[in-house]
Amino acid sequence: MTSRTLGIGFLTPALVAVFIFFFLPVMLTVVFAFTNMSTSTGITDGDYRIIGDRLRNLSDAGVSQASIDKLEAAGYQITEAGLAALAEQFGEDTADELRDDFLGQSYAKRRDLERVLRSLDDPIRKTRDRKAAADLFAVSIINTRFDTEEEFRAALTSTGIDAGDHDALTRFAYTGWGWTRDNFRLLLELPSTLRYAANTAFYVLCTLSFNILFGLFLAISTFYLPAKLANTFRAIWFLPRILPPVLYVLMWNWFTWDTGFISTVTGWFGVPQQNWMMQTTTRAWTVIILINGFVGASLGMILFSSAIKAIPTSMLYASEVDGANRWQQVRYIILPQLRWPILFMTAYQTLSLLTSFEYILLATDGGPGRATEVWALAAYHTALNNYGGNLQYGLGAAYALVLVVIGIAASALYLRLFNFRELLIKPRIEQ
Amino acid sequence: MELRLEKFTKRFGEVTVIEDMDLTVESGEMMALLGPSGCGKSTTLFAICGIHKMSGGSLHFGDRNVTTMPAQQRSVGVVFQNYALYPHMTVEQNIGFPLKVQRVSKSEIREEVARLSDLVQIGNLLDRRPAQLSGGQQQRVALARAMIRKPDVLLLDEPLANLDAKLRLEMRSEIRRIQRETGITAILVTHDQVEAMSMCDRIALMKEGQIMQLAAPEEMYANPSSQFVAGFLGNPPISFLDAVAGERLDLGTGQSLARPFGLEATGDVVIGIRPEFFGPQHGTGLEGEVIFVEPQGREELIDVRLEGGGEIRSVLPAGEPVKPGERINWGVATDRILAFAKDGTRL
Repeated sequence: MTSRTLGIGFLTPALVAVFIFFFLPVMLTVVFAFTNMSTSTGITDGDYRIIGDRLRNLSDAGVSQASIDKLEAAGYQITEAGLAALAEQFGEDTADELRDDFLGQSYAKRRDLERVLRSLDDPIRKTRDRKAAADLFAVSIINTRFDTEEEFRAALTSTGIDAGDHDALTRFAYTGWGWTRDNFRLLLELPSTLRYAANTAFYVLCTLSFNILFGLFLAISTFYLPAKLANTFRAIWFLPRILPPVLYVLMWNWFTWDTGFISTVTGWFGVPQQNWMMQTTTRAWTVIILINGFVGASLGMILFSSAIKAIPTSMLYASEVDGANRWQQVRYIILPQLRWPILFMTAYQTLSLLTSFEYILLATDGGPGRATEVWALAAYHTALNNYGGNLQYGLGAAYALVLVVIGIAASALYLRLFNFRELLIKPRIEQ
Repeated sequence: MELRLEKFTKRFGEVTVIEDMDLTVESGEMMALLGPSGCGKSTTLFAICGIHKMSGGSLHFGDRNVTTMPAQQRSVGVVFQNYALYPHMTVEQNIGFPLKVQRVSKSEIREEVARLSDLVQIGNLLDRRPAQLSGGQQQRVALARAMIRKPDVLLLDEPLANLDAKLRLEMRSEIRRIQRETGITAILVTHDQVEAMSMCDRIALMKEGQIMQLAAPEEMYANPSSQFVAGFLGNPPISFLDAVAGERLDLGTGQSLARPFGLEATGDVVIGIRPEFFGPQHGTGLEGEVIFVEPQGREELIDVRLEGGGEIRSVLPAGEPVKPGERINWGVATDRILAFAKDGTRL
């Protein structure tokens, strides 16, 4: 086996993973974003049906008033077809009697036809049977399900609706999903879009700053502690990261509930019990930034700590005998040499914060109101967990697609900024 | 400025590296701390500059007791073995750093940097970064940075260890020149006897945390106080032979040497003969067979196995017609024979 095929062989698992976990989801997101899929359309083909409750929306769909009237007025008519069906279910006698006396008669409402059925010499006695029998003579196509477009169009023709309205009615009656660009138009129009974008920017900016600054603080302060103490300290700060997110956030919830830790403790000092997470928007944001920040800061702490340890000790000694105090040592020697780790953390955390919503979902679920609803969470709510029950996969995918585009653009920018090729150059080995 | 180390003790945990060491470096003197690795010379240096705390004893710069003073306030300049230049700063910023942290004005820093860079002759490199400099240039930058504060003491930790042979020679005289020009008190830590001997006024030869001998280089070479000092100093090294001191120095192999003048001991001794004091130019006296000849350009190193046992080394000018296997009878400069007791003390 040549080394080239061997290399490809080793790469295969990675390529498969990239395909399944990145390329495929992105492609599906793109596809879904251009459809109007939702719970009501389903994700397979639909059928054709004009639902009675939606008749008043018809004029918006461009159907003429005449046709609408006709759809509504079309009631019940005694026809041979109906009689044949009646004969089959309720007996020849009833059908014959009806044919002799009423063939060709029309009724606007089912109740009128039911009255006729009751007045027969050989009446249909049960109310439920009468209703079923009356339906056999229904002319209106409202609430009737047609499996194919042809069937629906034929029914329109037989109802005598103006052919000019057929296309509009067919479109209106189709219950399946279709291709559309409306999702993006909707995103641009909805005022909530701006709100979610602003929330996201605020969330990313604040959490990022907290992560980096606090991570730096932890790394530098533990660097100056005795080794054993520093390691214990770092291990404690690392706990949030290795804790399962659900457990971690549940602990925060318990911490801030109106009967939780903070409430109990402040209660001793006469502060009324309250929910310290959800009471106000400020509190909700504070808690969310802390929840995410502690997790993110621990990663920064580990990365920065190892970067500081990589600085040759003699360089730190040199700065000390050069007369630099602790602060000057940090400012002039340590921080400048943490430039790359800091940039890397910033890039990595921006990207992961943009798309992360699990901690917000578990903590505030976007509340109070929609105050902490970030973009990714909005996408999740729209597509997968809608309070109204109608999950809008298409619109949700459109939300997600925006994130995908921003993410890819940001990655490209960071790659350029980092000049990754330069970073990959073998380090000079000194000493 | 005079530097005085009194009863200096350094412990790392349970291990005592140095115990009760006394050392005085005169003002303007350059002192070498010489010794094999692990002898405590770098530990002493780190204690003097304040990076390591002293476990016991006291340290004085002139009249000032600096024993407990942090490194920042001690006024020492240190050149580290790997130079420890700051990679993210230019040469100018590196040299000016000690002044910058003292909040000296920018124009003053620039003036001082210019003065120092002239002294170490790197005025044309000020805009470069350390990674763009050769080893010798980095060395000069490190030297300039160590000296810009006009420190009381200059400490050099194996400053030449990372240079190639030619640069080492050049920097040796450079460092000495700069030290002489500025008149600064300096301590050089090294394991290389040539550096110590060629650069310093006095050498403190250390072993296992003790100063074995403190003397000027020539004195130490000619008059070592112990077998260890005699063996450590000198390249090619001295040869030691067991002997019984009687009327003559009997090597116990049928051969003997005349007693050097002034030697009073009798009985079992160890005699040391430096290679330059054994050879045909000293007449005859010891018979043996040449077993190895190592040409070194200007001279040749010759190992001789003596008749009846024992090996002795000689150094001769190149071109002497000596071949391995040849039988020789060469003399020893009797007055230069060094005699030691069996425990290594000088007799």
